[in-house]
Amino acid sequence: MRALQMKRILLWAMAIGLVWAVVTSVSSAADSLTMATTTSTDNTGLLDELMPEFTKDTGIDIKWTATGTGKALKLGENCDVDVLMVHAPPAEKKFVDAGFGVNRREIMYNDFVLIGPPGDPAGISGKTVAEAMMQFEKKKAVFVSRGDNSGTNKKEIGLWKAAGLEVPDRAEWYVQTGQGMLSTIRIAAERDGYTLTDRGTYIKYSADHKGNPPLKVLVEGDAVLLNQYSVIVVNPDRCKNVKADLAEKFVEWITGDRAQQQIAEFRLLGQELFHPNAK
Amino acid sequence: MSFLLEGLIKAIHLLLDMDPETYSAVWTTLQVSSGSMAASLLAGIPLGFFLGYHDFRGKRQVRIVVDTLLALPTVFVGLLVYAFLSRQGPLGSMGLLFTVPGIAIGQTILALPIVVALTATAVEGLDRQLQFTLVSLGADRLQLLTGTLWEARFAILAAALTAYGRVMTEVGISMMVGGNIKWHTRTITTAIALETGKGQFGMGIALGLILLAIAFAVNLSVSFLRKRA
Amino acid sequence: MAEASLYRIRRLVHAYEGGTALRIDELAVRRASIVGLVGPNGSGKSTLLHLLGFIHAPTDGTILFKGQPAGPFSESVRFTVTLLPQESYLLKRTVWQNVRYGLQLRGHEGGQQDRVREALQWVGLEPDRFLHRKWYALSGGEAQRVALAARLVLRPEVLLLDEPTASVDALSAQRIKEAAMRARKEWGTTLVVASHDRQWLYEVCDNVLHLYRGRIFSNGEENMLFGPWRQRGDGRFETHDSDGASFVVDPPPSPDAVAIFGTDAISVSCERPSREQPCVEATISRLLWDRSTGQVIVSFLAGSRPLSARFSAEDIAEKQLYPGRTVWIGYDPGAFRWVE
Repeated sequence: MRALQMKRILLWAMAIGLVWAVVTSVSSAADSLTMATTTSTDNTGLLDELMPEFTKDTGIDIKWTATGTGKALKLGENCDVDVLMVHAPPAEKKFVDAGFGVNRREIMYNDFVLIGPPGDPAGISGKTVAEAMMQFEKKKAVFVSRGDNSGTNKKEIGLWKAAGLEVPDRAEWYVQTGQGMLSTIRIAAERDGYTLTDRGTYIKYSADHKGNPPLKVLVEGDAVLLNQYSVIVVNPDRCKNVKADLAEKFVEWITGDRAQQQIAEFRLLGQELFHPNAK
Repeated sequence: MSFLLEGLIKAIHLLLDMDPETYSAVWTTLQVSSGSMAASLLAGIPLGFFLGYHDFRGKRQVRIVVDTLLALPTVFVGLLVYAFLSRQGPLGSMGLLFTVPGIAIGQTILALPIVVALTATAVEGLDRQLQFTLVSLGADRLQLLTGTLWEARFAILAAALTAYGRVMTEVGISMMVGGNIKWHTRTITTAIALETGKGQFGMGIALGLILLAIAFAVNLSVSFLRKRA
Repeated sequence: MAEASLYRIRRLVHAYEGGTALRIDELAVRRASIVGLVGPNGSGKSTLLHLLGFIHAPTDGTILFKGQPAGPFSESVRFTVTLLPQESYLLKRTVWQNVRYGLQLRGHEGGQQDRVREALQWVGLEPDRFLHRKWYALSGGEAQRVALAARLVLRPEVLLLDEPTASVDALSAQRIKEAAMRARKEWGTTLVVASHDRQWLYEVCDNVLHLYRGRIFSNGEENMLFGPWRQRGDGRFETHDSDGASFVVDPPPSPDAVAIFGTDAISVSCERPSREQPCVEATISRLLWDRSTGQVIVSFLAGSRPLSARFSAEDIAEKQLYPGRTVWIGYDPGAFRWVE
């Protein structure tokens, strides 16, 4: 009979737990801001540093979902988020021009770099970006692309075109991963290939390998490699549910001196990942 | 390979140190799976009973549809639910996107065909004499339903566990509908996806082991209940 | 008169997919009577019991119970009529839970323990030994007795038994019979019993109905001759039994029609009748006493074919009709009825 009692207690505990879980899940709708952002800001840990400060300063809770820039813009277009933090200026301009977003403000930049194996079989070290792209084509060197319509992917496509080349979509040496930046770098390393990455993620990658990563920076500093991050408020005239006032406060805060200072101070391996440049 | 051992050690640490991020993901996972299991069992068992018990025109076709839905890809369900819950979608005004109930809705759609199909199979497998016995002992229609389901309880329990396994381990719906938002909709599986994406394989393994531990605890309780039932 | 009849059936038809299972023009069952059903497998006994138990509704026609139409789930019958199916089903629970299940359905909370124990004692199962057994820990006979106890615990007004002793051991069969009779005696329960155990039925029943191909013949002493029939040289027809006991009849309405005849169509003698009298040789297999009429039913085997006829006790003594004796049975084909 004791076993029977235990069974009863267990059943009750399960039932109560179930009800509790369901009830609490429904009643969690506090006043908060939702942001769609890119994996690079999230994976580097920048947002984990920055956002608690925002909440501390303004009392506004912020939730963010990290996806590629393409999907982030789509979420904004569908009114599913209040604010965006993305890095694909041409696409952003189109987004604003179409009336999907307002108040686009540049907040920070870092730069893209071309990385590859230290042996550099394609021989791109020290060359310009356009020359490097042509080397890949010529040597049929393994190039690993995000292939996911993210900001980095859009940038890479732009680089092929700027070099007067077609995107080698079906080439055997062109690998499209459809995954995030860090996964893509790892795949490039496994295949002894090259890839384009933002410097923030690369530093994070170096940190994971205790400062001695298998892939090295081979091309950097070219003006076309600039990686500009911006915030955009989703247009409240189109999307009635958007918390425009909170979103504006967020834009104001992140372009403000305190936040800009904190972005500059965010470092990994002693290196600055993002350079604030809000005007 | 080193990250396997690293993962095991990390899993123990996360649990013992009461790591708040981990516990948040565990709690969200439990919330979501409890909600979706409650909804899918509540709707699925009576539907499964009806499908298994009654003969009606088109029953075979309905069975084929339900059995096909067992193969629903989670990412597809996620996309479908997103289309409905998005602000631009028909249910957008309810504000369920990026919320725990939103994920639970998606997982309910995932679990429902499993519960319906397996309950129907369980009820079909019962002896026809059971019906005669219940009616002739004086059961009314509702008592006939409950009595029949109770006779099929072991098979229905197995159905629930199968559905639970699918719900606990899916990542497509949680990612698409939940958005993997830290402290809010990050479940164990989306956390694993994130950590893997970040290259933290050890952390991913650790979270996977924690998920397994939860599944183990659930199965242990159920097997205890079953032994005594 | 409505009071005397517990059941009254008129022009009832019940069909399963593919054919008619039962057709009854008229049937009444008196309160507190015991009615036996005999007939070969598939003759409609189980179907009739299911209908009387209100498990199914008939395809056509109504069944009046206590003068009122009733059907499945009717309040008037839910708690008064109960059926023990041929292959009784035990719930996957303990004996205690099985037996008290019907009481639970009725919301009958008080005194469950006493009534369950009493019901188990009636069927000869020691409550202390059996109450906590699980369904799988019972022999076939024990399971059948538990199933009967689950009906007896309800103190039903009508108890329908479908071959209750067909697949159980001798002791269980005895206990089942005793318990059913006790219900009749103590509570005035009406019993309708389908069984192959004719001896028992004739012993206890007020009325034995004979079913064949979904039809009822008023009482159970009729003999049936099955086809197929073979035409003879003289234009008449005969059965062609391998063991030689053949009947010669008038042309049947169809090749596999069934000939039916009662005691009035035959005569029994110890010597071979004249050449003109059609007859078969048969051995007396047993004698049954029919309590309701006081007559004796004599069973014969003509070859492998069973026959029966009724006699008064005086006839039995005079003709020395004892089992094992070989006699000649003369019959009158003109008195045969045909069923297609």
